[in-house]
Amino acid sequence: MQTLRQLTPFVKDALQQTLRVTKFFCFLHVTNTYICTFAWGMGPSMLPTINLYGNLLLAERISTRLGKVGPGDVVLVRSPENPRQFMTKRVKGGEGDSVTYLVNPKNSDEEKTVTVPQGHVWIEGDNKYNTKDSRKFGPVPYALLQGRVFCVLWPPEDFKSIGKDFQ
Amino acid sequence: MRAQLFQFMQRWKSTAKEAMDHTLLFSKFLCLLHVTNNYLCSPTLVYGPSMLPTLNLTGDVLVVEKMSHLLGIVGPGDVVLVRSPENPRKTITKRIVGMEGDRVTFLVDPSHSDRSHSLVVPKGHVWIQGDNIYASKDSRHFGPIPYGLILGKVFCRVWPPEGFGLLEQQE
Repeated sequence: MQTLRQLTPFVKDALQQTLRVTKFFCFLHVTNTYICTFAWGMGPSMLPTINLYGNLLLAERISTRLGKVGPGDVVLVRSPENPRQFMTKRVKGGEGDSVTYLVNPKNSDEEKTVTVPQGHVWIEGDNKYNTKDSRKFGPVPYALLQGRVFCVLWPPEDFKSIGKDFQ
Repeated sequence: MRAQLFQFMQRWKSTAKEAMDHTLLFSKFLCLLHVTNNYLCSPTLVYGPSMLPTLNLTGDVLVVEKMSHLLGIVGPGDVVLVRSPENPRKTITKRIVGMEGDRVTFLVDPSHSDRSHSLVVPKGHVWIQGDNIYASKDSRHFGPIPYGLILGKVFCRVWPPEGFGLLEQQE
């Protein structure tokens, strides 16, 4: 009984600290969800914008939420084939736009034109020879967009801001 | 004159501090609300004819839990809240009929014909249908939807009081 009473101030202190840490994580999480987030982009599909071995990207969440993402923007997308995976691609067309794309640029010059349905966007990787994008799985619903990438932070030699690019 | 100015600034400083404290408390509360709403459960008002007779036409308040879909344990028969693939600002409530790899058979237009169609749900997608197939715009119209559009699984109904409790299962 005596030891219990002796422990009380320590327990109280521990609880206070835990509460403070939890509040900080809540704040960090909310910033991550509503304002901006870090992302690690790697792979060949967005060369030369994002390099093969990996770049630390900064993506903001405000444009996607306000519906202001449009053609030319690089976005963070939840993969329609694997809900736990995220991809970085460039938006080539919004709803209602007519998109013309090369079906298989390595082997032929064949082109196809498609109209993006309502509520969807057409995404493509900058490296059209090695990318899995809307040319393979079709237009993706706008709601799968998670954020707009606006700069590359790491490694320092790759530091740059990513803007709208119409190819 | 200088003393008056000094007094004025002192008062302003204490009011500003009080306002700051209240704002901080309010934002801490909002943070907690956000985390609960997005990762635990949240109440949602749903309405419309597409889920009759399970859900009412004029509106039900449902408790939607957000853990099942994050853990990947939603499946056929579950009523889920989904972001509409046609309008990213709209949320729709439908029942999952098939998961990826399942073969779904459905009536294309039950009000006008008996024609039925069958297909396999692609990887990473789910097939959703409203319980009221005569008045529901679902996967029969916009195709299978990516799993990533699921927002949560409906757990129970809390309003109206006559309908309080778990929803009926349907296979």
